[in-house]
Amino acid sequence: MSMRKVAVVGAGMTKFVRRAQETAKELSWQAAHMALESCEMTMDDIEAVCLGTAPDSFDGIHMNGEYLSDGAGAWRKPFMRSYVGGGTGVFVPIQGWYHVASGLFDVVLVVAEEKMSSYYPHAQAAFLTIFDHTTERPLKPNLLWIFALEMNRYMSTYGIRKEDIALVSVQHKRNAADHPCALLGDPNITVEDVLNSETLAWPVQRYDVSPVSDGAVALVLAAEHVTKRVTDKPVWIEGVGWNLDTAHWTNRDLAYPRYVEYAARQAYEMAGIKEPRKEIHIAEPYDPFDYKALHHLEGLQLADRGQAAQLYVDGVAARDGDMPVCPSGGLLGVGNPIAAAGLMKIAELFWQLRGEAGERQVPGQPKRGLAQAWGDLMQVGTVVIMGR
Amino acid sequence: MTLLERDPKAAPAWRGELPVTSRYTFGLAGERFFRAIQEEGRILGTRCDGCARTYVPGTIFCERCLGELDKWVDVGKVGEVHTYTLLYEAPDGSQRETPEIVAFVRLGDGGLVHRLGEVEPEALAIGMSVQAVFKPIAEREGSILDIVYFRPI
Ligand SMILES: [Zn+2]
Repeated sequence: MSMRKVAVVGAGMTKFVRRAQETAKELSWQAAHMALESCEMTMDDIEAVCLGTAPDSFDGIHMNGEYLSDGAGAWRKPFMRSYVGGGTGVFVPIQGWYHVASGLFDVVLVVAEEKMSSYYPHAQAAFLTIFDHTTERPLKPNLLWIFALEMNRYMSTYGIRKEDIALVSVQHKRNAADHPCALLGDPNITVEDVLNSETLAWPVQRYDVSPVSDGAVALVLAAEHVTKRVTDKPVWIEGVGWNLDTAHWTNRDLAYPRYVEYAARQAYEMAGIKEPRKEIHIAEPYDPFDYKALHHLEGLQLADRGQAAQLYVDGVAARDGDMPVCPSGGLLGVGNPIAAAGLMKIAELFWQLRGEAGERQVPGQPKRGLAQAWGDLMQVGTVVIMGR
Repeated sequence: MTLLERDPKAAPAWRGELPVTSRYTFGLAGERFFRAIQEEGRILGTRCDGCARTYVPGTIFCERCLGELDKWVDVGKVGEVHTYTLLYEAPDGSQRETPEIVAFVRLGDGGLVHRLGEVEPEALAIGMSVQAVFKPIAEREGSILDIVYFRPI
């Protein structure tokens, strides 16, 4: 394939909060503005805009992508909104990547936004119509059913203990305590706190779940010749992959996310990675629930099936471990404004690989990282590998 | 405090009591699947021989090869609990004393998400066999709720 090299050259991020006073488009603008400033670019440099937001129903605005377009800098530019549910935040940089890799554009602004607090009383109600109208909806299902059923199957297939899964939530929330934009950072949280939190749908308890939030993240992507002009610390997008499993969530292998494996294999092949466990120095798997981080690490081939929790038990996943996992604090700690949360992971890799992650900096000058998200009807995997 | 914090005069999506609903069709496959439940108390799937898969609920196409499926098969009323959850939080956010039990019951290569009944949470196990309990035929209306729940056998 003849594709051009593409780098991330700038990034910006708003705080992730429970309820932002800013409107959705103001949040988008704040992130976009910060990303442009970070690489000293202006809208004159931007040739196209890619926007990611998850379901319209979250913001409570139909055609939300178009509504947000001015805040994202789309005025009189080629503009496209992508949307693959929770996977959007790691898909929208893929969309930006092929805009540039194809040769169509040299510089692209990528923005991801979510303002979930508009929904009342709880954003979860936005999900009620994702279920099949004849076979499922009469049972009055809610989103937690899916995760509870999957988590139980995952735990019982491999004999994983809840206290080991809780370690994920603890580590991510502790990591988030060092993130200036985080909503739920907590340096003192313990496994007992997670295990004693309210049971929602067993085995899912309150602290197993990431918080709904408002926030936005933006990146500037550039072709190689522009990159060389604007920065001496480029972070290259080395591999991308995405894959969709069956639309019938009950027909999937609930213990193993095959769609994540296929997305990862596509990305590893593009990046020339043969041994991911040695070649990936930082992993930012999608962690809306603590067990999902483990599930995804296994799909990403970064742990054997049923063994990902051991990475946390042994300290491998710690910020100073051999393969730090979610040094950002992840969705569990930083917050989960859906599309923005995925793009936050890409921004984290950008800052980590440039050595600009401050208190969160992973030691040892990491060279390569991977970010992944998951979504649609719980069946899409999206993967981006970045390196310097 | 910002201007809009649960403002009772916030713009509504519609006024008053206008009912907003959707009238979904059951589809070609759904018509057959739900009539078999209503009229015969049977659970039907469709078979793709090429892909060696039995879809439950039945579909008119195979998602793998996109071939047309017209071979309907009775998959019986007994399935296996593939996984389950105990719902402690009620839809209104309150906590329940006794959880509702929801399971994914595997039938053929698919299955149904449904409630479990006549079983205590302590007696639940993944892999247990459960049987569909149907409403009396006169009360059935062609709905997934024509199955009251699945119970252990
Ligand atoms: Zn087939």
